[in-house]
Amino acid sequence: MTRRKKWTASAVAMIALLVFMSACSSSKGGSTASNSPSSTASSAASEGTDDPSKQPEITLDVFSNLANYTGEQTGWFAKVVKDKFNIKLNIISGGQQKASTLLASGDLGDIAVAIGGDDYKDAIKAGLLLDWKKDGLLDKYGKDLLENAGKSLEANSKQFGGGTAIYGVGNSVGSGDGPSDGARTTFGPMLRWDLYQKLGSPEIKTFEDYLPIVKKMQELSPKSDSGKPTYGFSLWSDWDGVMSVNAKVTAQFYGYNEGDGFNTADIMMTKADEAKWIGLLDDDGYYLRGLKFFFEANKMGLLDPDSLTQKFPDVINKYKDGQVLFAQFPWLTDSYNTTENTSQGKGFAFVPFTEEKMTSSGYNPYGSQYLWSIGSKTKYPERVMQFLNWLYSPEGAQIAAAGPKGVIWDIVDGKPALTEFGYKAVTNSVDMPAEYGGGKFTDGGFQANNATINKSMINPETGEPYDYSMWSSYLNHDPDPVTKSWREAMGAMTMKDYVVKNNIVAVQPAYFSEEAPVAEPADIKQKKAEMGKVIKEFSWKMMFAKTDDEFAKLKEQMISKAKGLGYDDVLKWQVENYEKTVGAALKK
Amino acid sequence: MKANPHHHVYTPVSKKRFHLGDKYQLFLMALPFLLLVFVFSYLPLYGWIYAFYDYRPALPLSQNEFVGFRWFTSLVSNEFQREEVFRVMRNTFAISTLGLLTSVLPVIFAIFLTEIKNAPFKKIVQTLTTLPNFISWVLVYSFAFMLFSVDNGFLNNLLINMNVIDQPLNVLGSDNHTWLSMTLWGVWKGLGWGAILYIAAITGIDPELYEAARVDGANRYRLMWHVTVPGIIPTFFVLLVLGIANFINSGFEQYFVFKNAINMEHIEVLDLYVYNIGIENNNFGFATAVSILKSIVSLILLFAANSMSKLVRGEGVI
Amino acid sequence: MGKNSKISMFDVCNYTIFALFTLACFFPFYYLFINTISNNDLSSRGLVMYFPKGFHLTNYIQVFKIPGLADATIVSIGRTVIGTVLTVAASGFLGYLFSKPTMWGRKFWYRFLIATMYFNAGLIPWFLIMLKLGMVNNFLAYIVPGIVSPFFIILVKTFIESTPISLQESAQIDGAGHMTIFWKIVMPLITPVLATIAIFSAIGQWNSIQDTVFLITDSKLFTLQFILYRYFQTATSLASLLQAGGGSVNLATIQTATSIRTTVSMVVVIPILLVYPFFQRYYVKGMMIGAVKG
Repeated sequence: MTRRKKWTASAVAMIALLVFMSACSSSKGGSTASNSPSSTASSAASEGTDDPSKQPEITLDVFSNLANYTGEQTGWFAKVVKDKFNIKLNIISGGQQKASTLLASGDLGDIAVAIGGDDYKDAIKAGLLLDWKKDGLLDKYGKDLLENAGKSLEANSKQFGGGTAIYGVGNSVGSGDGPSDGARTTFGPMLRWDLYQKLGSPEIKTFEDYLPIVKKMQELSPKSDSGKPTYGFSLWSDWDGVMSVNAKVTAQFYGYNEGDGFNTADIMMTKADEAKWIGLLDDDGYYLRGLKFFFEANKMGLLDPDSLTQKFPDVINKYKDGQVLFAQFPWLTDSYNTTENTSQGKGFAFVPFTEEKMTSSGYNPYGSQYLWSIGSKTKYPERVMQFLNWLYSPEGAQIAAAGPKGVIWDIVDGKPALTEFGYKAVTNSVDMPAEYGGGKFTDGGFQANNATINKSMINPETGEPYDYSMWSSYLNHDPDPVTKSWREAMGAMTMKDYVVKNNIVAVQPAYFSEEAPVAEPADIKQKKAEMGKVIKEFSWKMMFAKTDDEFAKLKEQMISKAKGLGYDDVLKWQVENYEKTVGAALKK
Repeated sequence: MKANPHHHVYTPVSKKRFHLGDKYQLFLMALPFLLLVFVFSYLPLYGWIYAFYDYRPALPLSQNEFVGFRWFTSLVSNEFQREEVFRVMRNTFAISTLGLLTSVLPVIFAIFLTEIKNAPFKKIVQTLTTLPNFISWVLVYSFAFMLFSVDNGFLNNLLINMNVIDQPLNVLGSDNHTWLSMTLWGVWKGLGWGAILYIAAITGIDPELYEAARVDGANRYRLMWHVTVPGIIPTFFVLLVLGIANFINSGFEQYFVFKNAINMEHIEVLDLYVYNIGIENNNFGFATAVSILKSIVSLILLFAANSMSKLVRGEGVI
Repeated sequence: MGKNSKISMFDVCNYTIFALFTLACFFPFYYLFINTISNNDLSSRGLVMYFPKGFHLTNYIQVFKIPGLADATIVSIGRTVIGTVLTVAASGFLGYLFSKPTMWGRKFWYRFLIATMYFNAGLIPWFLIMLKLGMVNNFLAYIVPGIVSPFFIILVKTFIESTPISLQESAQIDGAGHMTIFWKIVMPLITPVLATIAIFSAIGQWNSIQDTVFLITDSKLFTLQFILYRYFQTATSLASLLQAGGGSVNLATIQTATSIRTTVSMVVVIPILLVYPFFQRYYVKGMMIGAVKG
């Protein structure tokens, strides 16, 4: 009996202890994004000296919706920041669900990157973001921010801070004319240059003209490197939102973009540089034209039959093997354009069509919408501000874009150039030196994954863009035979040069509004999700339809089903916002 | 229920003290654990209130828009919507029914595995058949893609080489027998793992029962049928009742990786639908509303299945 | 029936079917494995089918170079061992308690417990409760919520109810308390089901990742699964990254190769395979004799 009681008592005690322990530790582990215990510094101590590297070591939590990585920042970027600021960065990767839990917890860490539109407004309303004007923080520590991103700060203040407070700064800030793309533009099309040359570089007028040419290329090269059949086009569905990403590109070749770059407007396409728009399902619209294009391609045996079922990595593997001859996006070709292939003259290159007006966004002094902001719970507002300010300074932007000076690049004859080691490091063919944290160059970059100053902007300190792949030294560094042949044939140094010279690019001017974009009402959001599902499903069925009749029938079904689920309501809401804002501005 | 051992007490003096205390003592011993259950499972249920709001996580509830039953009614708001929900429920029903039907397979697997006398072979089978359970659905799909893709798929290469077909088959991109093939993938992945429970149950059968039956001249099949099967029936019924209650919770990962435009019509089960509409769009109100409905249906099914079990076997499971 | 004298038709079929099914279960695993040790180029082209080609261990070396792997392994082992022991003990004990018809309000409390299997409060309420309980950035978050698991308790209760309880009775007469009866008599009787629970619980602990994703930001508490699987995330954010400004991004340098992702899955499965056979000795038929008679 006594023994039994003892046992019972000890069991109860053990559980009570567990509950107690967990309740107790709430005081110390209570915040989601709590500063790591190693940060013993107090903010009072940090005011003593001006040199940030002499201040006590702290760890900052950086929450980024764009990060792929969670954990302590490692590699060369960590070293640079540690040396300069005595700061360690703890990266917390986002995703909609993770972001929601942090918002609900009331603590966004020290730096919050790319909190989405409506969430951002909510976060301000709930007091989760720090006002940069408070205690003169920005004026004291934000010299470079004010100088390089002044307009963006102003815009943020007007949109979100009632004209007085500032809660953040836009990403990719820049100014100037022309497209803000890098040397390589965002869209293609790209063709296998060697095969296209063999055909005698036939003229391509409309988008549909690619079909017969790609067919001939397929006949020229029916087998891939490992003996598998070749296709003109290989698509994937795992990135689709409300529509097929691959079919949407057709609009982007014709100067139209999904949405308007400001509002939530993803079922309409707007002309980049004119006040014109079309609905996603418009009969003469570019989306349906894109579907028709791939439908025709499938009839000609040019469309990879696995397009429907494969995932994106499978597509990359097919490009790698040389199974695909056309690419909508330039970056798809990276896995084929290896030194091994290009040295044999095999590789993809940009082959535009006469009618093409590729969309591009212009330099935006107000910045894009992946805002950088500071969490209101931060214990170190001054040091966070110093760090952010550095990211917006020429020095910080240059290091973030091209790595540490003296290791990856240096100034040679007054111009920036990658070092011999740098050329190898940026392609990940060698590891970084141990004192820079080792590992691959790309893994060592700032894992928040968001730009500050637009990389195509000119760095006043070097006279060349921040992006090393736009440096003249880089462009002239031993170009491969494919690039050489392309440059000769096209009379341009890079894709960007070509589209600007030949005026086949539609640049969307920066848009500024004193008001933040209208929040998407819940019922519109839900309707969009429902009809988006239908549109995706039928789009793929249409691309793989057997006959013209089936294609037409599926199209009819898609439109009537989408309309039944609220397509018109959603479109109406989106168009209204567009016409009040971006549309109105473009009319002027 | 079996006779309560506590009634067979010898000394009347100790009987009174022992019996009175025992009832509450048993409860008190369970109490700390029940508290844990309350804290971790019941407390979060306050969040069900989000189903009546257009919930925005950053804001306190008072600043969220109250929408009443809108998320509930939105499921059946118009004809197209009803059609969608009907289709989704039909898929869920079909796949879950097949799932319940195949739930006897692990039983059969366990019974026949115990008939294997070669110990190393048995051990190998038992270990290797649990392997698929540890491969994530994403990797399962990449293996399936290698087997069944049109371009260079293993099956198509084989059939074309053997001249069985001249046009490659698109197995993954077809909507034929979607429910069945999803069930088969599920069986392949879960059979060996699911059988562990029954193997354990068989281990618990009193060996004397086998001896006695053997003495009575029972052959192998009779032993299996009259000793092994009754020995694991309780476990089977418990799992069956729990499985019936899980009827509408078919999970979503498997369907998420196997879905495509062609099989969407038949593969979209309730959980995948909620993911597509609610979670992916950060619509917590809607997702919560569906989750409340699912909980209610599950509990109704649980008690219904339990009553059925009482009718059939004379005893309930819960 | 002659003992082992003849190989019956039954045995032939039985062995054959099991052999085939085992092969079907093993081959995909084997296929994925040989692809991780074959030349990545050949592998990505789908040329590695039955045997490794161009053997190398670069993928494994690369995975083992992931920073923080050693600490994460310790955390994973810690949560698996502690979590499993506590869960098994609690499940056994509660299963025993609930098998006692005399317990006050037994039916109600049992249903109170079972019902939670079918509730889902949603991510945010769960997260906020965990935050209030101090389970954020706390090792206990891996252990405490899983201690009481309705499913395991059901298994134990069912098992106890189907075993002879005469020994318990006789012990009770001797005046032994519930704790003593549970430890000395019931525990040995229910070893097979406890072994099963241990396997289920251990695998659950080892594979768990959601709790780390949402509750842990302190890298000292990351688990092995978490730091390996964060490499899987690349695919989703890659989409937004490339679409936003793909021009200056080199895909080849930022995409995690399929080979690495497969290697990661192998690395987390192999420890399971090493430990699992150890549990199988609890399934040997006839061990009940020892338990009942000893």
